[in-house]
Amino acid sequence: MEERETEDRDLISRVAARDGTAFARLFEIHGSIALGLLLRILGRRSEAEEVLQEVFLQVWMQADRYDGVRSTPRGWILMLARSRALDRLRRRDSTRRREEAVGEEAGEAIPPVGTERLETLERKRQVTSALGILSPEQRRCIELAFYEGLTHTQIAERLEAPLGTVKSRILLGMNKLRQALSAQS
Amino acid sequence: MSDIHTPRIEELLPAYALDALEGEELRELEAHLAGGCEECDRQLALWQGDLEELAAAVPPVEPSEITRARVLRLAGAGAATPATPAPAAAPRRTSSWRMVAAASALLALALWGLLGQVRMEREVQRLESDRERLRRQVEVLSRQVGSMRTEVLQAKQDLQVLAGPGVQAVTLAGLGPSPGAKGRTYVNPSTHDALFYAFDLPALPADKTYQLWFIADGKPVPAGVFAVDPRGTASLRVQQVADVARIQAWAVTVEPRGGLPQPTGAMVLKGA
Repeated sequence: MEERETEDRDLISRVAARDGTAFARLFEIHGSIALGLLLRILGRRSEAEEVLQEVFLQVWMQADRYDGVRSTPRGWILMLARSRALDRLRRRDSTRRREEAVGEEAGEAIPPVGTERLETLERKRQVTSALGILSPEQRRCIELAFYEGLTHTQIAERLEAPLGTVKSRILLGMNKLRQALSAQS
Repeated sequence: MSDIHTPRIEELLPAYALDALEGEELRELEAHLAGGCEECDRQLALWQGDLEELAAAVPPVEPSEITRARVLRLAGAGAATPATPAPAAAPRRTSSWRMVAAASALLALALWGLLGQVRMEREVQRLESDRERLRRQVEVLSRQVGSMRTEVLQAKQDLQVLAGPGVQAVTLAGLGPSPGAKGRTYVNPSTHDALFYAFDLPALPADKTYQLWFIADGKPVPAGVFAVDPRGTASLRVQQVADVARIQAWAVTVEPRGGLPQPTGAMVLKGA
Protein backbone atom coordinates (compact mmCIF):
# COMPACT_ATOMS: atom_id res chain seq x y z
CA MET A 1 0.00 0.00 0.00
CA GLU A 2 1.38 3.35 -0.95
CA GLU A 3 2.22 5.96 1.65
CA ARG A 4 -0.45 8.19 0.15
CA GLU A 5 -3.12 5.56 0.49
CA THR A 6 -2.12 4.81 4.07
CA GLU A 7 -2.48 8.45 5.00
CA ASP A 8 -5.79 8.64 3.11
CA ARG A 9 -7.22 5.70 5.00
CA ASP A 10 -6.15 7.19 8.28
CA LEU A 11 -7.70 10.53 7.30
CA ILE A 12 -10.99 9.05 6.24
CA SER A 13 -11.40 7.12 9.47
CA ARG A 14 -10.71 10.34 11.34
CA VAL A 15 -13.24 12.16 9.19
CA ALA A 16 -15.76 9.48 10.11
CA ALA A 17 -14.99 10.41 13.72
CA ARG A 18 -15.80 14.07 12.87
CA ASP A 19 -12.22 15.28 12.76
CA GLY A 20 -12.36 18.60 10.92
CA THR A 21 -8.62 18.85 10.53
CA ALA A 22 -8.48 15.48 8.80
CA PHE A 23 -11.30 16.59 6.54
CA ALA A 24 -9.41 19.75 5.60
CA ARG A 25 -6.35 17.68 4.85
CA LEU A 26 -8.36 15.25 2.72
CA PHE A 27 -9.73 18.18 0.74
CA GLU A 28 -6.28 19.65 0.26
CA ILE A 29 -5.01 16.34 -1.08
CA HIS A 30 -7.89 15.40 -3.35
CA GLY A 31 -9.85 18.62 -3.97
CA SER A 32 -7.91 19.67 -7.04
CA ILE A 33 -8.03 16.26 -8.72
CA ALA A 34 -11.73 15.94 -7.97
CA LEU A 35 -12.32 19.40 -9.41
CA GLY A 36 -10.26 18.51 -12.48
CA LEU A 37 -12.47 15.48 -13.01
CA LEU A 38 -15.66 17.46 -12.44
CA LEU A 39 -14.55 20.09 -14.89
CA ARG A 40 -13.64 17.41 -17.42
CA ILE A 41 -17.16 16.01 -17.15
CA LEU A 42 -19.22 19.17 -16.72
CA GLY A 43 -17.21 21.64 -18.74
CA ARG A 44 -18.31 24.60 -16.60
CA ARG A 45 -16.08 25.87 -13.85
CA SER A 46 -18.81 27.33 -11.67
CA GLU A 47 -20.91 24.17 -11.84
CA ALA A 48 -17.86 22.00 -11.20
CA GLU A 49 -17.01 24.00 -8.08
CA GLU A 50 -20.60 23.70 -6.91
CA VAL A 51 -20.60 19.92 -7.34
CA LEU A 52 -17.22 19.73 -5.61
CA GLN A 53 -18.86 21.22 -2.54
CA GLU A 54 -21.61 18.62 -2.73
CA VAL A 55 -19.06 15.84 -3.08
CA PHE A 56 -17.12 16.89 -0.03
CA LEU A 57 -20.31 17.45 1.92
CA GLN A 58 -21.09 13.83 1.12
CA VAL A 59 -17.59 12.80 2.18
CA TRP A 60 -18.06 14.61 5.48
CA MET A 61 -21.51 13.14 6.06
CA GLN A 62 -20.84 9.61 4.86
CA ALA A 63 -17.22 8.88 5.66
CA ASP A 64 -18.43 6.22 8.08
CA ARG A 65 -19.94 4.35 5.13
CA TYR A 66 -16.65 4.19 3.25
CA ASP A 67 -15.80 0.57 2.44
CA GLY A 68 -12.04 0.14 2.42
CA VAL A 69 -12.32 -3.20 0.67
CA ARG A 70 -14.10 -1.92 -2.41
CA SER A 71 -11.94 1.11 -3.16
CA THR A 72 -9.22 3.42 -1.99
CA PRO A 73 -10.30 6.69 -0.37
CA ARG A 74 -9.19 8.56 -3.48
CA GLY A 75 -11.16 6.16 -5.67
CA TRP A 76 -14.21 6.60 -3.43
CA ILE A 77 -14.02 10.38 -3.61
CA LEU A 78 -13.41 10.43 -7.36
CA MET A 79 -16.24 8.02 -8.04
CA LEU A 80 -18.55 10.10 -5.84
CA ALA A 81 -17.50 13.08 -7.89
CA ARG A 82 -18.04 11.27 -11.18
CA SER A 83 -21.42 9.96 -10.10
CA ARG A 84 -22.65 13.38 -9.00
CA ALA A 85 -21.29 15.05 -12.11
CA LEU A 86 -22.97 12.50 -14.38
CA ASP A 87 -26.26 13.03 -12.52
CA ARG A 88 -25.88 16.72 -13.17
CA LEU A 89 -25.00 16.09 -16.78
CA ARG A 90 -28.02 13.94 -17.38
CA ARG A 91 -30.23 16.74 -16.24
CA ARG A 92 -28.77 19.05 -18.80
CA ASP A 93 -29.40 19.33 -22.44
CA SER A 94 -26.24 17.90 -23.91
CA THR A 95 -26.29 20.09 -26.99
CA ARG A 96 -26.51 23.25 -24.91
CA ARG A 97 -23.73 21.99 -22.67
CA ARG A 98 -21.42 21.61 -25.60
CA GLU A 99 -22.14 25.08 -26.88
CA GLU A 100 -21.67 26.73 -23.54
CA ALA A 101 -18.66 24.73 -22.55
CA VAL A 102 -16.66 25.86 -25.56
CA GLY A 103 -13.90 28.13 -24.47
CA GLU A 104 -14.43 27.63 -20.77
CA GLU A 105 -11.94 24.88 -20.34
CA ALA A 106 -9.02 26.53 -22.05
CA GLY A 107 -6.36 27.46 -19.57
CA GLU A 108 -8.33 26.41 -16.53
CA ALA A 109 -6.39 23.30 -15.68
CA ILE A 110 -3.69 24.49 -13.35
CA PRO A 111 -1.35 21.94 -11.86
CA PRO A 112 -1.06 22.47 -8.13
CA VAL A 113 2.32 23.92 -7.40
CA GLY A 114 4.70 21.84 -5.40
CA THR A 115 2.04 19.61 -3.94
CA GLU A 116 1.82 16.77 -6.36
CA ARG A 117 4.32 14.05 -5.82
CA LEU A 118 6.53 12.90 -8.60
CA GLU A 119 5.06 9.43 -8.33
CA THR A 120 1.60 10.86 -8.97
CA LEU A 121 2.84 12.75 -11.98
CA GLU A 122 4.53 9.63 -13.20
CA ARG A 123 1.36 7.63 -12.70
CA LYS A 124 -0.54 10.16 -14.78
CA ARG A 125 2.02 9.89 -17.49
CA GLN A 126 1.57 6.13 -17.41
CA VAL A 127 -2.22 6.38 -17.63
CA THR A 128 -1.93 8.79 -20.50
CA SER A 129 0.53 6.48 -22.11
CA ALA A 130 -1.77 3.49 -21.49
CA LEU A 131 -4.65 5.36 -23.07
CA GLY A 132 -2.38 6.01 -25.98
CA ILE A 133 -2.09 2.35 -26.79
CA LEU A 134 -5.85 2.05 -27.23
CA SER A 135 -7.26 2.45 -30.68
CA PRO A 136 -9.04 5.80 -31.14
CA GLU A 137 -12.34 3.92 -31.32
CA GLN A 138 -11.72 2.01 -28.09
CA ARG A 139 -10.63 5.14 -26.33
CA ARG A 140 -13.64 7.06 -27.58
CA CYS A 141 -16.05 4.41 -26.32
CA ILE A 142 -14.44 4.32 -22.87
CA GLU A 143 -14.39 8.10 -22.64
CA LEU A 144 -18.06 8.36 -23.61
CA ALA A 145 -18.95 5.86 -20.89
CA PHE A 146 -16.66 7.32 -18.26
CA TYR A 147 -16.94 11.07 -18.80
CA GLU A 148 -20.45 11.25 -20.21
CA GLY A 149 -22.08 8.32 -18.47
CA LEU A 150 -23.41 6.75 -21.67
CA THR A 151 -24.52 3.14 -21.75
CA HIS A 152 -23.61 0.65 -24.45
CA THR A 153 -26.72 1.48 -26.44
CA GLN A 154 -26.26 5.24 -26.11
CA ILE A 155 -22.65 5.01 -27.23
CA ALA A 156 -23.70 2.95 -30.22
CA GLU A 157 -26.26 5.58 -31.13
CA ARG A 158 -23.83 8.42 -30.64
CA LEU A 159 -21.15 6.78 -32.76
CA GLU A 160 -23.63 5.19 -35.14
CA ALA A 161 -21.85 1.90 -34.58
CA PRO A 162 -23.28 -1.60 -34.03
CA LEU A 163 -24.01 -2.40 -30.36
CA GLY A 164 -21.83 -5.51 -30.43
CA THR A 165 -18.92 -3.48 -31.78
CA VAL A 166 -19.25 -0.96 -28.96
CA LYS A 167 -19.34 -3.72 -26.35
CA SER A 168 -16.23 -5.36 -27.70
CA ARG A 169 -14.39 -2.04 -28.04
CA ILE A 170 -15.06 -1.32 -24.38
CA LEU A 171 -14.08 -4.80 -23.27
CA LEU A 172 -10.89 -4.83 -25.34
CA GLY A 173 -10.05 -1.27 -24.45
CA MET A 174 -10.43 -1.87 -20.73
CA ASN A 175 -8.31 -4.99 -20.93
CA LYS A 176 -5.60 -3.13 -22.82
CA LEU A 177 -5.70 -0.39 -20.22
CA ARG A 178 -5.35 -2.97 -17.46
CA GLN A 179 -2.41 -4.61 -19.16
CA ALA A 180 -0.62 -1.34 -19.80
CA LEU A 181 -1.10 -0.13 -16.22
CA SER A 182 -0.05 -3.50 -14.79
CA ALA A 183 3.04 -3.59 -16.97
CA GLN A 184 4.02 -0.10 -15.92
CA SER A 185 3.46 -0.64 -12.22
CA MET B 1 -27.42 -19.98 -13.41
CA SER B 2 -26.26 -16.46 -12.51
CA ASP B 3 -24.62 -17.81 -9.38
CA ILE B 4 -22.00 -19.56 -11.46
CA HIS B 5 -18.87 -17.55 -12.20
CA THR B 6 -18.27 -17.77 -15.91
CA PRO B 7 -15.98 -16.02 -18.40
CA ARG B 8 -19.05 -14.34 -19.86
CA ILE B 9 -19.96 -12.91 -16.45
CA GLU B 10 -16.38 -11.69 -16.08
CA GLU B 11 -16.60 -9.94 -19.42
CA LEU B 12 -19.49 -7.87 -18.15
CA LEU B 13 -17.45 -6.47 -15.27
CA PRO B 14 -15.50 -3.73 -17.12
CA ALA B 15 -18.67 -2.27 -18.63
CA TYR B 16 -20.38 -2.58 -15.25
CA ALA B 17 -17.55 -0.65 -13.61
CA LEU B 18 -18.01 2.00 -16.31
CA ASP B 19 -21.80 2.09 -15.72
CA ALA B 20 -22.22 1.26 -19.39
CA LEU B 21 -24.02 -2.00 -18.74
CA GLU B 22 -27.79 -2.05 -19.14
CA GLY B 23 -30.83 -4.17 -19.65
CA GLU B 24 -30.70 -7.94 -19.31
CA GLU B 25 -26.90 -8.02 -18.92
CA LEU B 26 -27.04 -5.58 -16.03
CA ARG B 27 -29.76 -7.56 -14.25
CA GLU B 28 -27.86 -10.79 -14.79
CA LEU B 29 -24.61 -9.43 -13.36
CA GLU B 30 -26.27 -7.72 -10.41
CA ALA B 31 -28.05 -10.95 -9.55
CA HIS B 32 -24.73 -12.73 -9.70
CA LEU B 33 -22.97 -10.14 -7.52
CA ALA B 34 -25.83 -10.22 -5.05
CA GLY B 35 -25.09 -13.91 -4.65
CA GLY B 36 -21.73 -12.97 -3.18
CA CYS B 37 -19.12 -13.89 -5.82
CA GLU B 38 -15.73 -13.15 -4.26
CA GLU B 39 -13.89 -13.44 -7.54
CA CYS B 40 -16.18 -10.92 -9.18
CA ASP B 41 -15.81 -8.58 -6.20
CA ARG B 42 -12.05 -8.86 -6.47
CA GLN B 43 -12.05 -8.23 -10.20
CA LEU B 44 -14.56 -5.44 -9.94
CA ALA B 45 -12.31 -3.74 -7.38
CA LEU B 46 -9.44 -4.03 -9.88
CA TRP B 47 -11.51 -2.50 -12.68
CA GLN B 48 -12.56 0.29 -10.37
CA GLY B 49 -8.92 0.80 -9.51
CA ASP B 50 -8.15 1.22 -13.20
CA LEU B 51 -10.95 3.72 -13.56
CA GLU B 52 -9.64 5.55 -10.50
CA GLU B 53 -6.35 5.92 -12.34
CA LEU B 54 -8.22 7.17 -15.36
CA ALA B 55 -10.11 9.67 -13.24
CA ALA B 56 -6.97 10.85 -11.50
CA ALA B 57 -5.19 11.37 -14.82
CA VAL B 58 -7.15 14.56 -15.54
CA PRO B 59 -5.29 17.82 -15.05
CA PRO B 60 -5.93 18.97 -11.48
CA VAL B 61 -7.69 22.29 -10.99
CA GLU B 62 -7.23 24.31 -7.85
CA PRO B 63 -10.58 25.05 -6.22
CA SER B 64 -11.39 28.72 -5.77
CA GLU B 65 -10.94 30.24 -2.36
CA ILE B 66 -14.71 30.55 -2.05
CA THR B 67 -15.23 26.84 -2.66
CA ARG B 68 -12.37 25.99 -0.36
CA ALA B 69 -13.77 28.15 2.40
CA ARG B 70 -17.28 26.72 1.97
CA VAL B 71 -16.05 23.14 1.99
CA LEU B 72 -13.88 23.64 5.04
CA ARG B 73 -16.69 25.44 6.79
CA LEU B 74 -18.76 22.28 6.44
CA ALA B 75 -16.66 20.66 9.09
CA GLY B 76 -15.55 23.74 10.87
CA ALA B 77 -12.21 22.60 9.62
CA GLY B 78 -11.02 26.04 8.79
CA ALA B 79 -10.74 26.85 12.47
CA ALA B 80 -9.46 23.47 13.54
CA THR B 81 -5.97 23.02 14.84
CA PRO B 82 -4.03 19.99 13.67
CA ALA B 83 -3.98 17.39 16.45
CA THR B 84 -0.62 16.10 15.31
CA PRO B 85 2.27 17.72 13.47
CA ALA B 86 1.65 17.43 9.75
CA PRO B 87 3.92 15.11 7.76
CA ALA B 88 6.90 16.88 6.26
CA ALA B 89 6.34 16.31 2.56
CA ALA B 90 2.67 16.58 1.93
CA PRO B 91 0.87 19.23 3.93
CA ARG B 92 2.52 22.22 2.41
CA ARG B 93 -0.68 23.25 0.73
CA THR B 94 -2.69 22.96 3.93
CA SER B 95 -0.30 24.90 6.04
CA SER B 96 0.36 27.44 3.34
CA TRP B 97 -3.36 27.87 2.90
CA ARG B 98 -3.77 28.37 6.61
CA MET B 99 -0.94 30.83 6.59
CA VAL B 100 -2.55 32.67 3.71
CA ALA B 101 -5.90 32.59 5.52
CA ALA B 102 -4.33 33.80 8.73
CA ALA B 103 -2.31 36.43 6.89
CA SER B 104 -5.45 37.51 5.03
CA ALA B 105 -7.33 37.80 8.30
CA LEU B 106 -4.51 39.80 9.85
CA LEU B 107 -4.26 41.94 6.75
CA ALA B 108 -8.00 42.52 6.80
CA LEU B 109 -7.79 43.42 10.46
CA ALA B 110 -4.85 45.70 9.83
CA LEU B 111 -6.62 47.30 6.88
CA TRP B 112 -9.74 47.71 8.94
CA GLY B 113 -7.72 49.35 11.68
CA LEU B 114 -5.85 51.44 9.16
CA LEU B 115 -9.06 52.53 7.50
CA GLY B 116 -10.48 53.39 10.90
CA GLN B 117 -7.37 55.40 11.71
CA VAL B 118 -7.46 57.12 8.34
CA ARG B 119 -11.13 57.95 8.87
CA MET B 120 -10.39 59.32 12.32
CA GLU B 121 -7.45 61.35 11.04
CA ARG B 122 -9.65 62.76 8.28
CA GLU B 123 -12.32 63.61 10.83
CA VAL B 124 -9.77 65.33 13.03
CA GLN B 125 -8.44 67.25 10.03
CA ARG B 126 -11.97 68.20 9.04
CA LEU B 127 -12.74 69.41 12.55
CA GLU B 128 -9.47 71.35 12.74
CA SER B 129 -10.22 72.89 9.38
CA ASP B 130 -13.72 73.83 10.57
CA ARG B 131 -12.32 75.30 13.75
CA GLU B 132 -9.80 77.40 11.79
CA ARG B 133 -12.52 78.58 9.39
CA LEU B 134 -14.79 79.51 12.29
CA ARG B 135 -11.92 81.25 14.03
CA ARG B 136 -11.33 83.39 10.93
CA GLN B 137 -15.04 84.16 10.68
CA VAL B 138 -15.08 85.26 14.31
CA GLU B 139 -12.08 87.52 13.62
CA VAL B 140 -13.79 89.07 10.60
CA LEU B 141 -17.02 89.58 12.50
CA SER B 142 -15.15 91.00 15.46
CA ARG B 143 -13.42 93.49 13.19
CA GLN B 144 -16.73 94.36 11.59
CA VAL B 145 -18.32 94.84 14.98
CA GLY B 146 -15.38 96.98 16.11
CA SER B 147 -15.56 98.98 12.93
CA MET B 148 -19.31 99.46 13.23
CA ARG B 149 -18.93 100.46 16.85
CA THR B 150 -16.37 103.05 15.84
CA GLU B 151 -18.65 104.27 13.09
CA VAL B 152 -21.59 104.48 15.46
CA LEU B 153 -19.48 106.37 17.96
CA GLN B 154 -18.24 108.68 15.24
CA ALA B 155 -21.74 109.18 13.91
CA LYS B 156 -22.90 109.94 17.40
CA GLN B 157 -20.16 112.51 17.82
CA ASP B 158 -20.88 113.95 14.39
CA LEU B 159 -24.51 114.13 15.33
CA GLN B 160 -23.63 116.01 18.50
CA VAL B 161 -21.73 118.54 16.37
CA LEU B 162 -24.51 118.87 13.85
CA ALA B 163 -27.34 118.86 16.35
CA GLY B 164 -25.96 121.67 18.49
CA PRO B 165 -27.70 125.05 18.55
CA GLY B 166 -26.34 127.73 16.24
CA VAL B 167 -24.34 125.42 14.04
CA GLN B 168 -22.81 127.35 11.20
CA ALA B 169 -22.58 125.76 7.78
CA VAL B 170 -20.22 126.94 5.07
CA THR B 171 -20.16 125.68 1.50
CA LEU B 172 -16.87 125.44 -0.37
CA ALA B 173 -16.67 125.58 -4.16
CA GLY B 174 -14.10 124.06 -6.52
CA LEU B 175 -11.33 126.19 -7.83
CA GLY B 176 -8.68 125.95 -10.58
CA PRO B 177 -7.77 122.35 -11.24
CA SER B 178 -11.01 120.88 -9.81
CA PRO B 179 -13.87 123.25 -10.57
CA GLY B 180 -16.49 120.52 -10.06
CA ALA B 181 -15.43 119.76 -6.51
CA LYS B 182 -17.52 120.80 -3.52
CA GLY B 183 -17.09 121.01 0.20
CA ARG B 184 -19.04 121.86 3.34
CA THR B 185 -18.14 122.68 6.94
CA TYR B 186 -20.29 122.61 10.04
CA VAL B 187 -19.04 124.42 13.12
CA ASN B 188 -20.58 123.99 16.54
CA PRO B 189 -20.00 127.27 18.31
CA SER B 190 -20.62 125.76 21.72
CA THR B 191 -18.06 122.98 21.53
CA HIS B 192 -15.72 124.51 18.94
CA ASP B 193 -15.89 121.28 17.03
CA ALA B 194 -16.25 121.31 13.27
CA LEU B 195 -17.05 118.73 10.58
CA PHE B 196 -15.77 118.96 7.03
CA TYR B 197 -16.99 116.98 4.01
CA ALA B 198 -15.46 117.03 0.53
CA PHE B 199 -16.93 115.70 -2.71
CA ASP B 200 -15.55 115.06 -6.20
CA LEU B 201 -11.96 115.86 -5.44
CA PRO B 202 -9.40 114.04 -7.58
CA ALA B 203 -6.94 111.65 -5.94
CA LEU B 204 -3.46 113.05 -5.38
CA PRO B 205 0.02 111.59 -5.92
CA ALA B 206 1.46 109.73 -2.90
CA ASP B 207 3.77 112.64 -2.00
CA LYS B 208 0.88 115.15 -1.88
CA THR B 209 -2.01 115.69 0.48
CA TYR B 210 -5.05 117.90 0.84
CA GLN B 211 -4.93 120.28 3.76
CA LEU B 212 -7.89 122.15 5.30
CA TRP B 213 -7.55 125.67 6.60
CA PHE B 214 -9.77 128.17 8.29
CA ILE B 215 -8.98 131.87 8.02
CA ALA B 216 -9.28 133.60 11.34
CA ASP B 217 -8.29 137.17 11.88
CA GLY B 218 -6.91 137.21 8.34
CA LYS B 219 -4.51 134.38 8.94
CA PRO B 220 -4.77 130.78 7.73
CA VAL B 221 -4.89 128.23 10.54
CA PRO B 222 -4.18 124.55 9.67
CA ALA B 223 -7.24 122.33 10.46
CA GLY B 224 -5.95 118.92 9.35
CA VAL B 225 -4.87 116.89 6.32
CA PHE B 226 -6.94 114.36 4.46
CA ALA B 227 -7.01 112.07 1.43
CA VAL B 228 -10.02 111.24 -0.70
CA ASP B 229 -11.50 107.82 -1.28
CA PRO B 230 -11.92 106.38 -4.77
CA ARG B 231 -15.22 108.20 -5.12
CA GLY B 232 -13.45 111.52 -4.46
CA THR B 233 -15.08 112.07 -1.05
CA ALA B 234 -13.55 112.69 2.35
CA SER B 235 -14.56 113.74 5.83
CA LEU B 236 -12.60 115.33 8.62
CA ARG B 237 -13.37 116.15 12.21
CA VAL B 238 -11.74 119.29 13.51
CA GLN B 239 -11.47 120.16 17.14
CA GLN B 240 -10.77 123.39 18.88
CA VAL B 241 -11.56 125.67 16.00
CA ALA B 242 -11.68 129.38 16.62
CA ASP B 243 -14.86 131.21 17.51
CA VAL B 244 -17.28 131.27 14.67
CA ALA B 245 -17.29 135.02 14.69
CA ARG B 246 -13.57 135.10 13.99
CA ILE B 247 -13.65 132.62 11.09
CA GLN B 248 -13.82 134.42 7.80
CA ALA B 249 -13.41 131.58 5.37
CA TRP B 250 -12.53 127.89 4.83
CA ALA B 251 -10.11 126.65 2.18
CA VAL B 252 -8.39 123.47 0.97
CA THR B 253 -4.96 123.47 -0.62
CA VAL B 254 -2.67 120.82 -2.06
CA GLU B 255 0.44 120.49 0.09
CA PRO B 256 3.41 118.13 0.50
CA ARG B 257 2.65 114.90 2.35
CA GLY B 258 2.15 115.53 6.07
CA GLY B 259 1.04 119.12 5.54
CA LEU B 260 2.61 122.44 6.40
CA PRO B 261 2.01 125.22 8.97
CA GLN B 262 1.35 127.70 6.17
CA PRO B 263 -0.33 127.06 2.81
CA THR B 264 2.03 126.88 -0.15
CA GLY B 265 0.19 124.94 -2.82
CA ALA B 266 -2.73 125.47 -5.13
CA MET B 267 -6.13 126.20 -3.56
CA VAL B 268 -8.77 123.69 -4.75
CA LEU B 269 -11.75 124.57 -2.51
CA LYS B 270 -12.85 127.82 -0.91
CA GLY B 271 -15.94 129.06 0.87
CA ALA B 272 -16.98 131.75 3.26
